[in-house]
Amino acid sequence: MLRIEHYSKTYPGGKKAVDDLTLHVRPGEIYGFIGHNGAGKTTTLRAVAGVMDFTEGTITIDGHDVKRDPVGAKRVTAFLPDNPDLYEFMKGIDFLNFVADLYDIPADQRTKDIGKYGDAFELTGNLGSPIGSYSHGMRQKLALISAFIRRPRLLILDEPFVGLDPAASHLMKGYLAELCQSGSAVFFSTHVLEVAEKLCHQIAIIKDGRLIKAGPTGDLVGDSSLEDVFLELEGDK
Amino acid sequence: MKKFFALLKVSVKSMLLSSSNMGRKNRKKAATGVGVMVLIAFFGLYMSGLYSSLLMSVLAPIHMEVLVFIFMGIAALVSGLVFTAMAAKGVVFGGKDNDLLLSMPVSTTSLMASRVSAIYLENLLFSFFVLGPAGAVCAFMTQSGVGRNPLFWVRLVIAVLALPLLDTALSVLLGALVAFVSAKVSKGGVIGQNIVMAVYLVAVFWFAFNLNGMIDGLAANAAGVKESLSWAAPVLWMADGIMGNWGMLLAFAACCAVPFALVVFGLGKVYRQAVTAFAARSARNDYKLSAQSASGQKKALLRMEARRFFGIPMYFWNSGLGLIMLVAMGIAALVMGADLRSMAAMLGGALPVMPLAALLMGFCLSMSVIAAPSISLEGKYLWILREAPVDEKSLLWFKTGFELMFTIPCTVIAGVCIAIALSMPLWEGGVLILATLLFCVGHAAFGMLVGLTFPKLDAVNETVVVKQSLAVMLGIFVPMAVLGVCALLYWLGGMLADWAALALPVALLAALTLVCTLILAKRGPAMLRAL
Repeated sequence: MLRIEHYSKTYPGGKKAVDDLTLHVRPGEIYGFIGHNGAGKTTTLRAVAGVMDFTEGTITIDGHDVKRDPVGAKRVTAFLPDNPDLYEFMKGIDFLNFVADLYDIPADQRTKDIGKYGDAFELTGNLGSPIGSYSHGMRQKLALISAFIRRPRLLILDEPFVGLDPAASHLMKGYLAELCQSGSAVFFSTHVLEVAEKLCHQIAIIKDGRLIKAGPTGDLVGDSSLEDVFLELEGDK
Repeated sequence: MKKFFALLKVSVKSMLLSSSNMGRKNRKKAATGVGVMVLIAFFGLYMSGLYSSLLMSVLAPIHMEVLVFIFMGIAALVSGLVFTAMAAKGVVFGGKDNDLLLSMPVSTTSLMASRVSAIYLENLLFSFFVLGPAGAVCAFMTQSGVGRNPLFWVRLVIAVLALPLLDTALSVLLGALVAFVSAKVSKGGVIGQNIVMAVYLVAVFWFAFNLNGMIDGLAANAAGVKESLSWAAPVLWMADGIMGNWGMLLAFAACCAVPFALVVFGLGKVYRQAVTAFAARSARNDYKLSAQSASGQKKALLRMEARRFFGIPMYFWNSGLGLIMLVAMGIAALVMGADLRSMAAMLGGALPVMPLAALLMGFCLSMSVIAAPSISLEGKYLWILREAPVDEKSLLWFKTGFELMFTIPCTVIAGVCIAIALSMPLWEGGVLILATLLFCVGHAAFGMLVGLTFPKLDAVNETVVVKQSLAVMLGIFVPMAVLGVCALLYWLGGMLADWAALALPVALLAALTLVCTLILAKRGPAMLRAL
């Protein structure tokens, strides 16, 4: 589903944020991407989402090269940044319709999906209000709904659990699993190692822009815990 | 006091960074800031110098220099109010660092004082740029010798320092009112801002259109005019003070300092409550989902641009004013057609009517900067469009086309009205519309290019983008300069042949439009990607 081959990103001034990263996410997989602050996680996710240009390597999503066929790649992708800023001058329902229109989602499908996810996240009643009046958690839920209604082949999430209440987090985990069962894949970054350990089929650990460990969660963790493995690899233990 | 200065430093720094990018390491961003400051300073000094000398030439011979300072004082007060009232709403009551600073062991009065002082410094610039040139003009043109007395400058400096205190107090109160209305009524803020902008623009136009008549009237009845301005008593005291009445100057200074102190200490005491009340906007919970309808990408993007254009009063009035003027000009020409035709006949063909009409239409179009701030207005939302399955080229053409959606019909309407009103031959009307349409397209493409070259994606609010960004300044004044070059080419071409007088400006417009469009098509997508 997602193939990242020898991806590197150098910022102006020469700082290499990511160096020669290669990883593959298969259909049906939830892939966790962990690392310390500034390790290069967000830089990688933004490049995969086609939001940020990169210097070396290739990234393909469901056969679409992010550089050569960005529109094709974006059509099968949904990306949520760590702090999604949504148009405050729009109402919640207007934003969902705006996104649905950009992705050419048919009217009946969008009505059904907005109802399904809106009710589940207890946001349907608020959809008639301007986004400017939403709390941080409500915006996060609205952004999540806007991602789920696209039925993406690849869902890219940057720290998705920040700002969500426990019930919404639990719901989201269920929907991520449901998405993967339908053949899609999820690629997300997180600092919540317990969640990553329980939820992910595969985990990659990145340090200073370089991939230091990747593989199936069971193999990676073994008899230990992801926290122990992570700290050991980070050299803090 | 140490805490106050630390807070003031933070407030001023954040205001400078948000409105001008000064102090940035990025050279292009720093250039944006410096460029904006230089342009604002230049136009402030130019406008004030121009109007001060105009007024002084009439008033100095009758020893009524005092009126110049009354008019300039009102101008400084109003321009400061318009620019900083919206800033006050954001800086004083809607600061992004409010939570952080309110949680620290500093008094709310110190915090309020630091915020308000930052606004004061901005108003001080207006006061300096407007009253300074008036003082210089007075020194050169006075016939009573008042402007050459060193004490005159001392009094002027006191006035320059005191006037922004009053301006700041009024700005903060107005900003609080706008913040309150915005928090309480979801659409009230937009409606309120629209009313304020409409009243202000009507006043500006009334003042501009009546200026010549006022100057003529001033010479005949200057004392009467001064008396009629008694409603602006503090400014009258300021002007009398500058001219030598120390008692009046003292009264003026007190009249400025007292409201300032009342605002700082009064609002400072309830600052925490005010910030809490203004930030409290609860979402309603009564929406019932019904069947949704689908439309395409183009309609979705168009609706989004339209919501932004009509939903942000500052954007609409700042960028749509030229279009309102353009259509009004066309309709006025139709209504007053007979008068215009007889005036043109009286001048016996000495007046190049069609080129003048084109010049006026171009002037109105120059002010219709819809595309230039478009990218900067995306700001923190830019990720949404970047993530969407729409290629950069289409996005740019869509945003450029949004300006053309308004400018092309308005240009055609105004052009046809003017051509009919002035009984232009068909070919002349055709050239008028062709030239102005070329200008339209070039203006939109150029606006988008400067928007991409000098983006301001981190502005604290839309006012900063629409009124103070370099992209908007360039989007207005460079096309105006092109109009000047066209006029020059018309004059030079007229020396060769009649056809050359028209062909040269049209050829220039066509060439510039082509160049801007090609650059936008070729480099625009990469520039957008690099933001």
